[in-house]
Amino acid sequence: MNEHHKILIRLTGVTKSFMVGSGRFSALKNVDLEIRKGQMVSITGKSGSGKSTLLNIITGIDKTTEGSVSVNGVRIDKLSESDLASWRGKNIGVVFQFFQLIPTLTIAENVMLPMDFCNTYPRSDRRKRALSILQSVDIIEQADKFPSSLSGGQQQRAAIARALANDPSIIIADEPTGNLDSNTATSIFELFASLARSGKTVIVVTHEREFSSYFEQCISIADGVIAAGTSVNV
Amino acid sequence: MNIRLLKVIRDITSDYAKNLMLVLAIAIGVFGIGSILGAYSVLTREMSSNYLGTNPASATLETESEISRGLLDSVRQFPGIQEAERHATVSARMKVGDKWYPMLLFVIDDFASKKTNQVSHLTGSTTPATGEMLVERTALVVMQANEGDEIGVKTSNGEPAPLKISGTVHDAGLAPAWQEQAGYGYITLSTLHYLGESQGFDQLRIVVSENALSREAITAKAGELSDWLEARGIKVHEIQVPPPGKHPHQSQMRAVLTIFTTFSFLILVLGSILVATSVATLMVKQVRQIGVMKTIGATSLQITMMYVLMIVMICVVALALAIPLSRVAAAAFYQQIAVLLNLELADRSVPLWVPLLQIGSGIVIPLLAAALPVLRGSFISVRSALDNYGVKAAQTRQGALNFISRLSFISESFKLSVRNVFRLHSRLMMTVGLLATGGAMFMTALNVADAWDDNLKRIYQQRLYDLDVKLNERIKPDTILETLRSMPGVTAAEGWDYSATSVVRETSRQVSHTYPDKAHGSFTLLALPPGSKLLDPTLVEGMWLSGKAKNEIVLNQLARSGVKIGDSVKLAVEGKITAWKVTGFCEDVGSGAAAYVSIDDFSRVNHSIGMVKMLRVAYSDRSRDFAYAKNREIEVLLESKKVSVSSSLPVWLLHNAVAAHMKVLVNSLMAMALLMAVVGTLGLTSTMSMSIMERTREIGVMRAIGGTPGKIRSIVVYEGLLIGMISIVIAFILALILSSWMGEFIGNMAFRTPLSLTISVTAFVLWILIILVGSFAAAYFPARRASRLTTREALAYE
Repeated sequence: MNEHHKILIRLTGVTKSFMVGSGRFSALKNVDLEIRKGQMVSITGKSGSGKSTLLNIITGIDKTTEGSVSVNGVRIDKLSESDLASWRGKNIGVVFQFFQLIPTLTIAENVMLPMDFCNTYPRSDRRKRALSILQSVDIIEQADKFPSSLSGGQQQRAAIARALANDPSIIIADEPTGNLDSNTATSIFELFASLARSGKTVIVVTHEREFSSYFEQCISIADGVIAAGTSVNV
Repeated sequence: MNIRLLKVIRDITSDYAKNLMLVLAIAIGVFGIGSILGAYSVLTREMSSNYLGTNPASATLETESEISRGLLDSVRQFPGIQEAERHATVSARMKVGDKWYPMLLFVIDDFASKKTNQVSHLTGSTTPATGEMLVERTALVVMQANEGDEIGVKTSNGEPAPLKISGTVHDAGLAPAWQEQAGYGYITLSTLHYLGESQGFDQLRIVVSENALSREAITAKAGELSDWLEARGIKVHEIQVPPPGKHPHQSQMRAVLTIFTTFSFLILVLGSILVATSVATLMVKQVRQIGVMKTIGATSLQITMMYVLMIVMICVVALALAIPLSRVAAAAFYQQIAVLLNLELADRSVPLWVPLLQIGSGIVIPLLAAALPVLRGSFISVRSALDNYGVKAAQTRQGALNFISRLSFISESFKLSVRNVFRLHSRLMMTVGLLATGGAMFMTALNVADAWDDNLKRIYQQRLYDLDVKLNERIKPDTILETLRSMPGVTAAEGWDYSATSVVRETSRQVSHTYPDKAHGSFTLLALPPGSKLLDPTLVEGMWLSGKAKNEIVLNQLARSGVKIGDSVKLAVEGKITAWKVTGFCEDVGSGAAAYVSIDDFSRVNHSIGMVKMLRVAYSDRSRDFAYAKNREIEVLLESKKVSVSSSLPVWLLHNAVAAHMKVLVNSLMAMALLMAVVGTLGLTSTMSMSIMERTREIGVMRAIGGTPGKIRSIVVYEGLLIGMISIVIAFILALILSSWMGEFIGNMAFRTPLSLTISVTAFVLWILIILVGSFAAAYFPARRASRLTTREALAYE
């Protein structure tokens, strides 16, 4: 197996439980999962199936109740909150459904923010890098505008640019096109595909079946259990 | 620029109206602290340097015979005496228009080289010629005269004679003449003789060379000197040892400024609570942003520092506003007090510790207040932050309010308002706490001002006379009293007696605490006829003079130190030591230390049976105008009867003098009340808008299920009014406790008697109005803004 297809994310026996009013609820039940580097992966499932919890476990937002999570060789379930934040900033780019850009920063500044938090690039180079990423996602002309003046598609491109700021190996997107029209959604999926081609691992939670052709692996989850983990074109 | 810093600046400027309010809230507190402490520091320093700069006499020995120059030279050689000077102080009266006012004449031995209780020469001649006087600068107002004018002056034994004002001086050891409603003149011995008095210098002022700030050491040295003088045939009948190194008004000034400093810090604390609530709002508003920032790599510490920086920046702007303004206010404040205390401010610089304290408190207190919401917001888990939709269901525990559901006569929207009020206990406590503290301080300020006013009224309630006439010589009063009683408008006239006195303790000599103005620190023995109708004393312990036992005495609060009912006290009365049995204690308003005895006992020990030295007259009309006219008539009558008057003091004049002493306190309390109202209203506005903003999504839901904008507004307005009303009840209870404490503190510090607890109805009604109008406005406008959002906008609100 070449470097491009080595296992990047490995979940072993992961269970995640929450205490709710009616007692203990397991959002994930003894999940084993492997995702390879450079793949574009989809996670699908009904509302409440556990797909967001799965994403949270991979990003380190949630801790496992049982089991281990290894990302790029790092046992993230063992990291402290502070180390996790820094690790996440450098290794994972997250794209949200509602973009979640900081409204008081311009698009370029939004992209520079992760570099600032993680102190990843020299201060003098950050704007240049931000503009270069914005160029790559085709919104360079919006660099100095505030998020509120951009369309939904442009905002999502800006959010993807921000996710790429620290050159992470993994991009995770939670229903990134759920709030966009179909043409814009297609362009966003094209962008994700190009990122995957460039070696990034892209994991997308989506309900939209028309984009299934973009994915090399489709993970379907139901009641906290992976129902199917099909690899396509591996 | 650092992106985090940029975000902080943009967050501040994007909601500038709200942040300006925070800046104002902090600025008001910092401004108060700076103004008060700035004034406090300058006044304390200048009061001390002014007073000590006069080289105040450690003690004054009053002798019964004249002190010769030769004797003075010998005293100057006495061991432990650094300086000695002979002097005389004569009570006189001066004529201003057609009225006579009290006057003190200070007879100076050598104007050119005065060594103790020095005065600063201001204008005119440095040494007045015979028939001339120098006048304390503050006395010109009372005299209604200018330099070069002549004033009619009458001493006890002389006829009225004109004295020319040949110059002015500043005497830092005296309270302003207008405050005491008296004149202060500085004359030579030859002028005193010109006025008809034959006496020489009968006071010896000394400055001790060791332990100059120890009352005991000074008293001991003065005692030694008195023994030495008496061995040379000079009898000392009184030793006056005023509090060493302390200006006559030092205690009052410290009391007033301490109160204001406390108030200022409380305002800053309230402002800081406001910052805390607003920061909590901001954290709620930005909780998702915090989640996002943490997702893209921010650590909790980085987030914390961003919000700390934001608060610091708001504080810095507040400080930049408040510090220069507080300097201006401090200057205005110390100048006004300097006038009230007759101080000359040589150095007006505010010491560095004041702005440093302002900076420290203006940053540290808001940071401490906001620490909890900042830490709670910064350390929130990413998941909780991203899942945040406003108020958590888990925090809504309202079992106690379930009974409301069963009250069918209450509308559903009102029930919802009630539940919303108690929805977040911590928020409710913070809002109510802020409002209640503001209200309590507002009401306290006005309650104390009212209590002070009531206290002033007690001057009239205790003194049932309108004119107090002190005579130079004792007279048989029967005829005069008969004539006075027959005058129209006169309801009563009584003959009293009085004498300066002091408690005799370790020595057999009379040692008083009297200052050179013969008023501050003095102790007077008042002898009144049995069954006097002209005094209604406020007895606080024991009983009033019964007349059944001999030598009964009642002491007022300033005279009672360490004495118990039934004790025997020895008093020096006109050179004689007499023993008195304490039967009670009373509270006097507007008096110095005083003791009351029966005139029968007094005249027996003083060998003046059937004689009086004081007349007290009551009028049917207690107005000032009536008293003016009637006083004049009485003075003419006494002149015609050849009764030599030493002083004539109308009660209204005393009332005005006491009121003038505390004018700054009362005015400043009003200003504090106003500031509290501003901070309280700002707090209410802030917390209501926070509460509504948090529930914008919920408002969207209500709109979606049919809630009209009007209905939603009314729910929120009810909430605001309910919170306001809860705060009013707590504020009232707090105000009672605070007013009682503050009244006791001010009263005791200023006059050693607590101010009675007074509830200002005006303050209560005003605060209710402020809160009701404020609550309505604070709830209505944000509610209107929220209800104007479309249902879709409200539901999508983050």
